[in-house]
Amino acid sequence: MEETPAGTCEHCGHPFPTSERLVLHKGIEHPSQLDDSEQEAFESAVTEEEADLRTLRLKALAVLVLLYFGLLILYAIFA
Amino acid sequence: MDVTGCAKKESKGWSLSTILRTVLSVPRFRVGVQFLMWVALLMFVVDTVAAGNGLTLSKQSRDTLAVPQWLYLATGGATIGASALLASFVTDRAFIRYLHSWSRTLPSIERWWDPLVWIGHGLGVAALVLSVFLGFAGPQLPTASLTILLTFAGVRAGLPIVTYFVGNVWPVLNPWRTIAAILPSGYREYPDSLQRWPAVGGLLVLVWVEVIFPISTVPTVLVMVILIYSTITITGALLFGPESWFDNADPLSVLFRLYGAVAPLQRENDEIQVKLPGSDLRSSDVVTDVSDVAFIIALIWELTYSGFITTSAGVTTVETLVSFIPAMVANVEVRAVLVYTILFVCGYAVFLGAYWYAGRLSRRGTGTYITARTIAFQFAPPLLAIAAGYHFAHYAGLFVSLSPALTMALTSPLSPPANPLVLSPPSWFEGLGIASVLIGHLLAIWAAHAVAYDLFSSRLVAIRSQYPFIAVMIGYTVISLWIISLPGAIPPYLS
Repeated sequence: MEETPAGTCEHCGHPFPTSERLVLHKGIEHPSQLDDSEQEAFESAVTEEEADLRTLRLKALAVLVLLYFGLLILYAIFA
Repeated sequence: MDVTGCAKKESKGWSLSTILRTVLSVPRFRVGVQFLMWVALLMFVVDTVAAGNGLTLSKQSRDTLAVPQWLYLATGGATIGASALLASFVTDRAFIRYLHSWSRTLPSIERWWDPLVWIGHGLGVAALVLSVFLGFAGPQLPTASLTILLTFAGVRAGLPIVTYFVGNVWPVLNPWRTIAAILPSGYREYPDSLQRWPAVGGLLVLVWVEVIFPISTVPTVLVMVILIYSTITITGALLFGPESWFDNADPLSVLFRLYGAVAPLQRENDEIQVKLPGSDLRSSDVVTDVSDVAFIIALIWELTYSGFITTSAGVTTVETLVSFIPAMVANVEVRAVLVYTILFVCGYAVFLGAYWYAGRLSRRGTGTYITARTIAFQFAPPLLAIAAGYHFAHYAGLFVSLSPALTMALTSPLSPPANPLVLSPPSWFEGLGIASVLIGHLLAIWAAHAVAYDLFSSRLVAIRSQYPFIAVMIGYTVISLWIISLPGAIPPYLS
């Protein structure tokens, strides 16, 4: 945690552990202060984030299904 | 999806402002579609809750569940976990912000405001004076004493219910505030470093007094406590000024302000606004200090504790612990008081520690540079929904059963009937208790989701940051569902 941050926001001075999170922060919190390259970086970071979120949703769905059938079986046995 | 995304980017040359405009001013139909999806998901959760209720209600007595107890508790915990997973499906920032900032202004009641406030002030002061007078001169039967009924059915049970379901009316009713406001005050500056710590201490002492002393059964004892409380409150309010005293040091005022944050009616800039319940739990000005977090955890803990010691398991625990202390140390009453106090303090420390540890884990898990303190501050207000759920589960039955007695005592305070009517709540009230615990947690999960999205720019990190808090919430749910499923008992050794 104490290692040097990957980047610091030049608008509010907040440090970030990865450059992707810095890019996302700047795009969401300081949208009017971005230059072209930062804009492009933000767009691709959002696209990448979408893909990761899709994976996460799939995992969440798998856990939900497991939870549902797990409980169903438990109820069938014990109740 | 990716291909079309790239194509769009190239052909239209999406500027950031276009993206943001699209994200922030989502077309209504999109919000509508998402809303429908969310309703469908919620229906699924509510179905699970209802199924859980059915299972526990299928038997008359709560100690003979048709379902083994561990399975009932696991289902409760799983409901919270599942709803957290479902919440993680909602990743549209604009939609989350839209739901949490939705509000409608009610027609102005400025013309009625002053008379209403004066009526409230009058009612509050009259209730206090009447309570003190009748505690000494009135009937001493607990179910006939207006002092006891007003304090427990009114301020302890009914008023918080009104506060989190409707809005906070305590600043208007608070008789001590009314009295302090007309007297000269403000001789000292309230020390800023104290923050809300005096209120935390005050709340813990009030609950401790409620457990140890027979204030819910003997009116004269209750009046003594009211008089001591009044002396401290009015002295403090006059010394530091009513404003800073009731905002910081008075436990009741802080309690009602925090419960009021869950309510759908909020007063802002002299306007009354209707919001979705729990919307304000996202706002960062509910909790501004460690003492606020300590107060919120104390609210959850006091309900858990007073629930626990009035169950069979609580009674066994207390009896076992008392027998552990050698008899020569002190007589049995003193040992019992010691055990009750130690349980109270240790349990509070465990609850507080669990929450604080979750804050640290959340920080470590996300590798963020936001401090653990800030994270803990932001995630604390959603816990108020949990506290409200517990409160309703524990006190709705009491309020209903005592409300006829309260009405009778109010209509004829000096000569109440010899045998006041005490209702026994219908059996579905038990299901209502389970439902309110679960609904409180669902609201908390949803508010925590919104908090995480405000706190973190990366949505993946926002989801990950919630895991430790969800674990803590599952723990709290399982404990409180366990407590409401236990058969009731009278705490031993206390008069």
